[in-house]
Amino acid sequence: MSMKQTIARVSSYSADVFGACSALFELGGMIVIHDPSGCNSTYATHDEPRWYDRDSLFFISGLTEMDAVMGNDNKLVHDIVSAAQDLSPRFIAVLQSPIPYMIGTDLEAVAKLVQKKTEIMTVALPTNSMHSYVKGASMAFAMLAAHMVENPVGKTLPPFTPKRWSCSWQAEYTADGSLVKDMPSAAARQSLGVNILGVTPLDFSFNGSDQSMVQVLRERGFRVVSTWAMGSSLENIAQASLADVNLVVSYAGLEAARILQHRFSIPYVIGVPFGSVMAAQVASDLKEAAAEKMNMISYRNRRVDESGTVIIGESVYSASLAWAIAENGGPAARVFCPLDTETALLVPEDRIGMSEGELEKLLFSYNVIIADPLYHPICPTTARFVPLPHEAFSGRLFRKEIPNLIKNAETFAKNING
Amino acid sequence: MIKIAVYGKGGIGKSTTVSNIAAALADRGLRVMQIGCDPKADSTNSLHGQAAIPTILDLIRQKGDAFSLKDMTVKGYKGVVCVEAGGPAPGMGCAGRGIIAALEKLKEKGAYDIYKPDIVMYDVLGDVVCGGFSMPMRKGYADAVFIITSGENMAIHAAANIAMALENFKDRGYARLAGIILNSRNVKHEEEKVLELASDIHSAVIGSLSRSTVVQEAEELHKTVIEAYPASSMAEEYRILAAAIYKEAQKRR
Repeated sequence: MSMKQTIARVSSYSADVFGACSALFELGGMIVIHDPSGCNSTYATHDEPRWYDRDSLFFISGLTEMDAVMGNDNKLVHDIVSAAQDLSPRFIAVLQSPIPYMIGTDLEAVAKLVQKKTEIMTVALPTNSMHSYVKGASMAFAMLAAHMVENPVGKTLPPFTPKRWSCSWQAEYTADGSLVKDMPSAAARQSLGVNILGVTPLDFSFNGSDQSMVQVLRERGFRVVSTWAMGSSLENIAQASLADVNLVVSYAGLEAARILQHRFSIPYVIGVPFGSVMAAQVASDLKEAAAEKMNMISYRNRRVDESGTVIIGESVYSASLAWAIAENGGPAARVFCPLDTETALLVPEDRIGMSEGELEKLLFSYNVIIADPLYHPICPTTARFVPLPHEAFSGRLFRKEIPNLIKNAETFAKNING
Repeated sequence: MIKIAVYGKGGIGKSTTVSNIAAALADRGLRVMQIGCDPKADSTNSLHGQAAIPTILDLIRQKGDAFSLKDMTVKGYKGVVCVEAGGPAPGMGCAGRGIIAALEKLKEKGAYDIYKPDIVMYDVLGDVVCGGFSMPMRKGYADAVFIITSGENMAIHAAANIAMALENFKDRGYARLAGIILNSRNVKHEEEKVLELASDIHSAVIGSLSRSTVVQEAEELHKTVIEAYPASSMAEEYRILAAAIYKEAQKRR
């Protein structure tokens, strides 16, 4: 590791395992993390607000030193099969931590063996805890798009019949409020169907932002087919091919959107509907994208000004917020994205993937810094710091202070204006 | 695309045999890629004629990800694409993890899509000593495994161990054992012993090679027998073996 990569004064983002867990939390699958036992709570409580009042099926394999030395894959397979037979999960996802990654455990082979023995769909997600949560969530959403979404006509998921164990997340409602068993009515199908892709508490917390996005779209005449993956059941996800257009609200949802476009020719729009102006733009783009079968970025005309304002955070979230603040009379901020993203989602004045040292030097010339509070120690005292807690960076430390900016973007923009 | 992996006891002649098969198949007009999966990184020496070529792990160590597919490959005899995975410094790191990292990098850089080889051959270090060395037989890599052995007891023992590993992996979608190659060391009852091994592991001897000084003479010239002594009887043995391997591998695509 070079000193450039050293993190000494700020926090670090959640790792890919957390991202995958967060993406799959509500879908009724059994998530097995191949890792030594011990502080399991790091995976599911520190960064997971839903842990406290919802059941889940997260397991740690309890890898031991001798398992690592001897390669006891059969023990892992046996334990997963045994638990799956007791709990009847909808699917099984096997994730790995650094130790099995380093010893070259073939998780795909493990998944194949488990699926053969349980007849439950089993997938391996190649996490290794060396990448950010964005990559983990992205691979989980991509897996759903590739394997869980069904053709509009043809086979459907087998009906779910809870056995002696069931979970609060086995939702009885769909993203648009109808019962799971009810297919959308003919009248409802006349409105444009939308999947919202890339929603996890790591980016949007557990403060109603997900429901607000659904509400924003419904108020503008859209039918929300599914929200990946908060407030939707696996059945909703399976029906995602019924949508006319996808709305990507974080970079983690983009790969899934591309897969759905490849499989079902569904175009996508990128952007978060922060406030009424941005919501109107997103709604307009969703209609145009569906009609023209083209992909769009709702903040495509984003510009930056010389006000010295910067937002640090996830790319789609931060760029959308910068656009919304500017449209509401605030400064046109730059975005510093320390996470996985693509240059096409940002403007040339933005920056991607800086070290703590580089970031500190860059921030020295800014007047207003909008970022998670744990970035404060490297911000210049001359700058005005606007806290915007990010669950993937500060976990539950400032959870109660994370705003629902879908509803309150205008207030936030006014606050920036001082 | 046919993909095979060749295993066998260390020093049994895997690299020499694989390189001669590569040359023989290249002579037939096939596009061939040979990937050395051994930290010694000398699998392809007789194909490219150099003392050493940059290994994938050397490149990763020196340049991170800032290198191209072309940097990872050297064209050898009749255009055979030569690749060496390489490994950590002796006595350090993890060679098995190194093989995984190297093969993943090769795939990530598009080696199979860009070169579009008719046949890829993984020349793997000795025994399947850890997870990393099973990588070439995993799903997405080789379809068929060939084991080289002589009649020496240690070589037969190693071959049996490799066959057992393959048997243990049969439910995982890994490559299957496609045959035994006898590389003769002129030991007593050699053919009978190897035939018995083949019977025990439910396989067959698909080809055999005589012990010949021509092989060492070609190696001294840093060439394969196919290139250095194409008219020799040994070159003909390699051609017959190459045809047999190609035929068996085609069946298992």
